[in-house]
Amino acid sequence: MGFLRNLLGTRDKIEDSSHKGQDQQPNQPSSKKLSENVEYLLNEFKRTDDLKIRAMNNGQAVLMYFEPLVDQEKIQQNIFTPLEMGHVEHISEIPNARSSENLEEMIPTLLRGHAVYMEDGSKTITRFNVTSVFNRNVEEPQNEKIVRGSHDGFIENLMINLNLVRKKIEHRDLVVKYFKVGKKTNTNIAIVYMDGIADPEIVKKMEERIKAISVDMIQSPGYIEEFIEDNPYSPFPQMLNTERPDRVTANIMEGRIALMAEGSPTTLIAPSTFFMFYQASDDYNARWYTGTFVRLVRLASFIIAIGMPAFYIAVISFHYEVLPDELLLPVKSSINEIAYPPILEALIMVVIIELIRESGIRLPSPVGQTIGIVGGLVIGDAVVRAGLVSNLMVIVVALTAIASFVVPSNELSTTLRLMTFPLIFLAGTFGFVGIVFGFLFLTIHLTRLESFGVPYFAPVAPLSISDLKDTFVRLPLFMMKKRPKDAHPLQEKAMGESREWVQHEPDNNKN
Amino acid sequence: MSQTTIKTKLSRRQYFFIIVQTEIGVGILSLPYDLHSAAKQDGWISLLIGGVLLQIVLLVIWLIAKRYPDKDFFQIQEAVFSKWIGKGVSLLYVAYFSMVAMVILLLFVRLISLWVLPQTPFWILALLMILVCLYLASGGLNTMARFYTFVSIFLVVLVAFVLYALKDTQLTFLFPILNSGWMPVIKGANEAVLSFFGFIISLVIYSKVEGSPAQRLRTIFYAHWFVVLFYLFTVLVSFTFFSPVEMSFIQEPLLYMLKSFEFVIVARLDLFFLSIWIVNVATTLTTYVYMTGLGLMDVFNTKKTAPSYMIAALLILIPPLFIGYNMERVDEFNNFVVWLGYIFSVAFLFIIYFVSLIRGSLQKGGSS
Repeated sequence: MGFLRNLLGTRDKIEDSSHKGQDQQPNQPSSKKLSENVEYLLNEFKRTDDLKIRAMNNGQAVLMYFEPLVDQEKIQQNIFTPLEMGHVEHISEIPNARSSENLEEMIPTLLRGHAVYMEDGSKTITRFNVTSVFNRNVEEPQNEKIVRGSHDGFIENLMINLNLVRKKIEHRDLVVKYFKVGKKTNTNIAIVYMDGIADPEIVKKMEERIKAISVDMIQSPGYIEEFIEDNPYSPFPQMLNTERPDRVTANIMEGRIALMAEGSPTTLIAPSTFFMFYQASDDYNARWYTGTFVRLVRLASFIIAIGMPAFYIAVISFHYEVLPDELLLPVKSSINEIAYPPILEALIMVVIIELIRESGIRLPSPVGQTIGIVGGLVIGDAVVRAGLVSNLMVIVVALTAIASFVVPSNELSTTLRLMTFPLIFLAGTFGFVGIVFGFLFLTIHLTRLESFGVPYFAPVAPLSISDLKDTFVRLPLFMMKKRPKDAHPLQEKAMGESREWVQHEPDNNKN
Repeated sequence: MSQTTIKTKLSRRQYFFIIVQTEIGVGILSLPYDLHSAAKQDGWISLLIGGVLLQIVLLVIWLIAKRYPDKDFFQIQEAVFSKWIGKGVSLLYVAYFSMVAMVILLLFVRLISLWVLPQTPFWILALLMILVCLYLASGGLNTMARFYTFVSIFLVVLVAFVLYALKDTQLTFLFPILNSGWMPVIKGANEAVLSFFGFIISLVIYSKVEGSPAQRLRTIFYAHWFVVLFYLFTVLVSFTFFSPVEMSFIQEPLLYMLKSFEFVIVARLDLFFLSIWIVNVATTLTTYVYMTGLGLMDVFNTKKTAPSYMIAALLILIPPLFIGYNMERVDEFNNFVVWLGYIFSVAFLFIIYFVSLIRGSLQKGGSS
């Protein structure tokens, strides 16, 4: 509890200073008359009905609080029980009470779910923390399931999320900084990083960008992301979204910064690189051969997801000669009776798949199954029999859709599916040449992108050979002695010799 | 110590790949044919001679660059020839660089039209290409360096393609060596030098690379010999794959060679080779867009990068539109630019060096 109170204390300080900056000294000294004080607060809250006023001491004193925000149990326990038991003479002597003479200060306090006690004839106002909290369990996030490893996930409460991180990194260097964003919503957000590993320049950049946000409402980290990312016009996500504490802590330990917001389980991680979106927690829990294999499959899926339909279109509309003789006949007979040009076929199929996906997301699962049947069987089969789309095109587009879902990050997955369209058009107009130009634009764009001043396409461009061992492949953990360079960690070394016991142990193979 | 301050200096590895990617470009497809038409089966000796000769030019480049460690190429002109003459010389170089870029664009689009897209109008392909280059160049030298390093992996793929052809080569096609004496071989060296003309980039960006002068010189030489060996490999393979008689008909021997193979999965490797070759052309052209834009910025004393590159790109794009697929004029223009190349990429460098030497000794004499 003391830990929590400390946190709340610092938050008050930051919030007060930011208030000063915003609307010059919101200081309203309390009056000795109780009625004036109550009247002032009531007016400030526009006489809202859920602000409860509880008269005490025959109307000589008053306890005010927002009924939906407080926990009645806590009021009983923290305020009335000590008084009734006679532990304290006066209400302000109750531990956990804090006093002030500024009425304006009471407004955010009340909004946070505290109770305020005022007495006639005294300027002192006492307040108590009696906030009620509703939380769901820290269960595994639905969109980032893993087979092995920790199964907890962030929830909508910032304190609990920070608790999960602190539990995983028990070190004095773990720093949390609070900010209030959103002029009307006053959303609490926090950045978390390791002091001494994270680059202070990047931390400064992050703080500056967060402070620059000037909006009435912040709903989720997605909002914040668009305000603070380097290149908002890029289709690629420049900050990693995750709901997994283990992923967040691993990234914090690499010298990156995590950004959390009250009311959302999603945590943003910056600076991010393209290849971070292809790493999953499972890679590190499996044998490293498996991890490497899975990761290679995943990266191949990137090429398939954006290039496969384009390649197919280019081949059948421009470069038939690329097909070996044995394949020529089946391909030709499959597309011979299709009325539409291949580019139109592909567009039809890609749009159908997007429709099925989008309609399936928000439906309750029993209805969702119907969509699967309609989509998979009826459309897939009927569309071919009707002669609208060729068999091969169905295979190609289905493969593309599957490949796009392989990416562990939902943001990148949607980006990939968007990227197929320009490539389909380029392939349909210029064949292979168009695809090459498309990929050139894409690669140049990735090379130009930066996330918080850090190259996005690292460690491939700029090339850093030592970091490739956790990019395309996943080498054994004891080989990753250094942190990846792309996050500019101040401390490069991440581990020492961890397997030197190999030399000391007697060789078992000899007998 | 702050590590995030943007690294303005290129690493030597990036320097290496910039030089390599700039030199390897459009020429690689026709180089074996050009060498062969000049020196028959001894063309590969010409290539080696050209490589050795250029070593001297590279040394001069290094000597010039070493005297002005923190100036780029165009600023060196102003330091050597005084402000206004220097600006004039810079402008000539801007014109030269843009003309080389035009030739690259013309040859590139012609080849694409010959091999892949016979019906596509000239301007569409030229525009696409120049847009890619503009996008890359306006990202700055650091982005270019990163990109060049990354796409160098495709050189390995190109080599792998050509390696496959080794199974059908016949070394006897190389004999008799020096059948018609040294004269054709020396003449062939002329053709060989052409294919290295991108080397001037090593002077233009010398001051932006980290490392001691000696280390940078070594990088320049490594890059140069890497390209020489790469060319030598392709030339030798095409010379031994086709007989001397066949060689004299085939303008793009590498493509014809790959065209003849068929695998279980794909036929027509040449189309894939060509696709990768587009990347190499793009990197070469980008370097010239960059150099033209940099020159414009230095001459007109402006720091506005985006408009400068835009003007450079327009400068390169518009004249070729009037030449298009007209073969005779492309060849005429090509020969003209080659001739300019000898002046600007070789002869003039010596002049710059000697003038800077004289000025240096004059200043020394004046001060003592």
